[in-house]
Amino acid sequence: MWEIMSSRSTDAALLVDDQDTGPQGSVVLQARGAGKRYPGVIALDDVSISMRRGEIHALLGENGAGKSTLIGILSGITEPDSGEIVIDGTSTKFSNAAQSQSVGITTIHQEQTLAPDLTVLENIFLGRELRRGSLLGRFLLDERAMRKRVEHLVEEFGLTADDLRRPAGTLGALKQHAAQILKALAFDARVVILDEPTSGLADHERMSLFENMRRLRDRGVAILWVTHRLDELFGLADVITVLRDGHHVATVDPATQTPDSLVRLMVGRRRSAVAESSAEARGNRWSGPEEEILRLESVSRAPLVRDVNLVVKRGEVLGIAGIAGAGRTELARIILGADRADKGQISVNGKQVRIRNPRDAYKLGIAIVPEERKTQAVLGDFSLAKNISISDLSRVTRGRMIIDRSAERKLANVYVRDLEVKTSGIQQKIRNLSGGNQQKIVIARCLFTRPALMIFDEPTQGIDVAAKNEVYRLIYEFVDAGGGAIVISSELPELLRVSDRIVVMREGRVAGEVPAGPDQSEDERSDRAEEIMALAVRSSS
Amino acid sequence: MSFLPNNATVGQRLRAVVTSPNSGVVSVIVLVCIFASIKSSVFISVNNGFNIASQMVFILLLALGMTIVLISGGIDLSVGSVMGLCAGVVAKLMIDGVPMVVAMLLAVAAGAGLGMVNGLIITKLGLPDFVATLAMFGVARGLLYLWTAGTPFLDYMTDTYFIVGGLRRPFGYLTVPIIVALLATLIVAVTLRFTPFGRHLYGVGSNSHGAMLSGVSVPRVRLLAYVCSGLLAGVAGVLLAGQTTAVAPDLGTGYEVYAIAAAIIGGAALSGGRGRAIGAVIGTLTLAVTANAMNIAGVDPTWQQVVTGLILLLSVILDRASTLLRSRVVQIPIQPVAATTAATAR
Amino acid sequence: MRIRERLASIAAVEGVVVALVFVAMIIFFSLSSPYFLGSQNLRNLFVESTFTVLLAAGTSYVLIVGGIDLSIGSVLGVSAGLTLLTMQKTNSLPLAIAVGLASGAAIGLLNGGLIAGMGINPFIVTLATLSIFSGGLNVLTTRAQLTGTPSKSFASLAQGSVFGLPSPVLITAIVVILLELVLVLTPFGRRIYAAGINERAAHMAGVNLRRLRPQVYILSGAIAGLAGILLASKLNSVQPGLGSGYELTAIAAAVIGGVGLAGGQGSVWRSVIGALFLATLSQGMQLLSISSTWFTVVTGISIVAAIAFSRMTQRLAAAVRPAPLPPAPTQPEPSPSDDRTPAAAG
Repeated sequence: MWEIMSSRSTDAALLVDDQDTGPQGSVVLQARGAGKRYPGVIALDDVSISMRRGEIHALLGENGAGKSTLIGILSGITEPDSGEIVIDGTSTKFSNAAQSQSVGITTIHQEQTLAPDLTVLENIFLGRELRRGSLLGRFLLDERAMRKRVEHLVEEFGLTADDLRRPAGTLGALKQHAAQILKALAFDARVVILDEPTSGLADHERMSLFENMRRLRDRGVAILWVTHRLDELFGLADVITVLRDGHHVATVDPATQTPDSLVRLMVGRRRSAVAESSAEARGNRWSGPEEEILRLESVSRAPLVRDVNLVVKRGEVLGIAGIAGAGRTELARIILGADRADKGQISVNGKQVRIRNPRDAYKLGIAIVPEERKTQAVLGDFSLAKNISISDLSRVTRGRMIIDRSAERKLANVYVRDLEVKTSGIQQKIRNLSGGNQQKIVIARCLFTRPALMIFDEPTQGIDVAAKNEVYRLIYEFVDAGGGAIVISSELPELLRVSDRIVVMREGRVAGEVPAGPDQSEDERSDRAEEIMALAVRSSS
Repeated sequence: MSFLPNNATVGQRLRAVVTSPNSGVVSVIVLVCIFASIKSSVFISVNNGFNIASQMVFILLLALGMTIVLISGGIDLSVGSVMGLCAGVVAKLMIDGVPMVVAMLLAVAAGAGLGMVNGLIITKLGLPDFVATLAMFGVARGLLYLWTAGTPFLDYMTDTYFIVGGLRRPFGYLTVPIIVALLATLIVAVTLRFTPFGRHLYGVGSNSHGAMLSGVSVPRVRLLAYVCSGLLAGVAGVLLAGQTTAVAPDLGTGYEVYAIAAAIIGGAALSGGRGRAIGAVIGTLTLAVTANAMNIAGVDPTWQQVVTGLILLLSVILDRASTLLRSRVVQIPIQPVAATTAATAR
Repeated sequence: MRIRERLASIAAVEGVVVALVFVAMIIFFSLSSPYFLGSQNLRNLFVESTFTVLLAAGTSYVLIVGGIDLSIGSVLGVSAGLTLLTMQKTNSLPLAIAVGLASGAAIGLLNGGLIAGMGINPFIVTLATLSIFSGGLNVLTTRAQLTGTPSKSFASLAQGSVFGLPSPVLITAIVVILLELVLVLTPFGRRIYAAGINERAAHMAGVNLRRLRPQVYILSGAIAGLAGILLASKLNSVQPGLGSGYELTAIAAAVIGGVGLAGGQGSVWRSVIGALFLATLSQGMQLLSISSTWFTVVTGISIVAAIAFSRMTQRLAAAVRPAPLPPAPTQPEPSPSDDRTPAAAG
């Protein structure tokens, strides 16, 4: 259990002063035996980690390995069930984010922490506003001091002084991200926790961030850094801790590691077996006529989609690559009719069509597996059967008026069996399924409408490796039976494996096309991957 | 609060004016004033200005509280009932011989206390704002009915209370309610603009999860917002009791609609994170000027409620239309980065 | 621990708690007053409850689709007024009924159009229309003497009997049963639930929200119109302010019955139980000669209690519930972020 300690003098701890004790390398912050359970899941089990002054400590692990939970505990937003946090040798306990901040821990969360209506400057200091010195002034904000504190940092991160005065919601994604980082750097913290800070950043911005991380390290700050990109680690991280399934696997010196050895630590023995099984997953390809299912001609919707032309044929998987904000999801939404195009033509099966809403799209045989399963796909309180039938209730109605529940159940059962969904029955509520099985139900919902074209937007987001392979199998089965598929994914290896060809989008336009497919060798794939990255991020002029 | 670079073109500036939250409203006021002055020469006169101001005071106080609550992302339907109940508190206490100042302070404290009950129900029990304050709306109103037993409280007025209620004017046109309302506006404006609490209100209303992660105590901020709203309703109740000279059981009925309308017209958003003290003034002014103009123009007073509703509807439609316009013009990323970064992270 | 688990699992069954409280209340009243279970009193109880029952049934549709309709009270008033007016002017019963229903549906269309078409917050839209149309009724009643019609058939609408059953009760029962069946059995009902559970997901799954939402508000308006027709027939006169406060009672009834304000939860019959609950309470209080003003207070408190209680049982049930199914042989997704713990998203 947690011991309560006397509270430290908070203001003194916020700023690192020269007299701050301890040489480089002394332990500042420790988590000992931290554990956290959620109903049915052990998110973190007996994990210990030490952060030292002047050290960049990388934290690795797959989705669900427990990184977010550990960060939550250290930053005071998650209360652990067991274990303790030790700061400067004293055991302590955080029950909210402010307490963690007050002992000098600053966290950059992966989620959006900016308030869109506040200006960037206001956001940076939200919760830790600087106040005026005088007696009465303690109740008043000191705008000038706040501005001064961040002025020198602003330009390094591609913001202008004007941007500080703008509401955060009016900035583009990259600038918003920069503002999030400034939120941490504006305070000379003793410990900085960065949760995937580079996702969505352009190369030069990453470099600038790394530069600042080094600078912080040299000043004696301890940095905990979560990243998915193994290539970033080498040369920057001083020590690496790997978590897997809520357990501490290893704490290692990067000098003794290679990316491959780290991957092995992260996934354990599972990966190799899985990788082999997926290679042979695709059997009989579609041998019928390769008719066009979908054709887009100069489709635009300002400002995120511009002049897009593309074609999807029967029996093929078209991958769409691009960095965040390249317009991939927006394009999918236009095809589905969730947003309307400003101009351009869409043809389905050779006929020009107008898709005004998703309902129209489903009638035309277009179905989508949306990104962000929880918010955009899953109807949590509905049973599996109701989730499957919702997009085409006409298949289970009698006389177009009354839903025939037994027919619905029977039909839903067929899909649940075909897709090998693991469940206690189709009357179960979908919210009680695991992520992978939920995704299968969403795919079943699409298949239930008997579509000709399916769009998969980040189809394996947040599901485990075994379930990912089953999703790939379902995509193959669909196209091999004569359907066409569009797959949008930010995971390049996934896209390279699953697609027949890949269209790369950049700033709303199609930047180029790259062939792909499961038959390519490892070398070919890495070449393609580089090609795609080059197309996706080539600096804008 | 629109932002423009210094070298904006005329077109950009014009568009910024059209899409800024208060523009529709200000034009409504101007139009109404023009219309009314054409119809009647009484309209533009000191006396009439004073009339408008006295009509405004109570709505303004409630609208200020409502603005604070709306900024924090909530809504307070109980303000009218709470105002009525607080008026009842003063009247009853004074009838019972409690000194005026004590009675007033107790009434204001009662308002703040009811606001705190709202806030506690919302933050501790986790009830939706709308439900908790709707319940308080019923409870406070019912209590006043029970307490008054259906007949108004009378005969509590003292000489000083006539001054407090604005019925006697020792300083010319500047009555006590007007002074109080001005002071309240100033205090709320300063709080919103220059204090950490104000900043936290906007932060919580704009992105409560983000504010929590940034170390803001979200429940405390929301609780305080309701306390402020209740407190201002209490102040309004004290003044109102002085002006009506009788506290009827239905005193303050329907004022929540005026308060919400005034706040929304003034640019506060139901989704939270937006709103200003001056907006509450503009909103209240719109309602008061319209009512007054109708009065002078000889429109049947029964139409007034219809017009209030229409103005509320019009202002949200204009607000929504300008938001839609802005979202296409300024290219706001509708979904904040969270979604996209999460996507690339995987 | 055992007992707690049992209790939690019983309480978690939908509607059990309300039913228990309901029964306890009936026992209490029948013990306190010998007249309570008398046939005349029960008859009165049912006739009095029809209006609340109808409005609550319509409200459950709106709440389940994820909206709210505050205007139903004023719709009731306006359609009652227009029905009576048509009756006086034309003496044609079918025409009067048509006017009553059509006026309700038209206001519903206005609400739904603004909400779904422009994406304005339903709360504000219906608050505005509440103000507009209750004002409209005031105007109407000052223009026309809305008392009495010579028509017998019109009066029999609410005052007659069919097979010994009061006809308004019969009409209400038929409408309520129809509404429940439509909600449970038809694709329309299924889509309403889907939209309420997760609006974005329903949209992506092909539910046409732009059409569905106005339909629901039209339905809600038309039902309020029907209640207005019956009320006009019963009272045979329409006063200003008729119907005000009904929206609070209807929402309270739905919420007490267990219809969630967040959408996607509940059903018509549960709202009906809530409405009968409130009607019984009001009737019982009258029999015990408790001042009817207590009713507002009790209504307010029972809203809070009902929601707080359902929260509590949910929490209890969640704590007791075993690990989520299925016991997947492969890695169950260990991400705690999925449903239960928004704070730990990652």
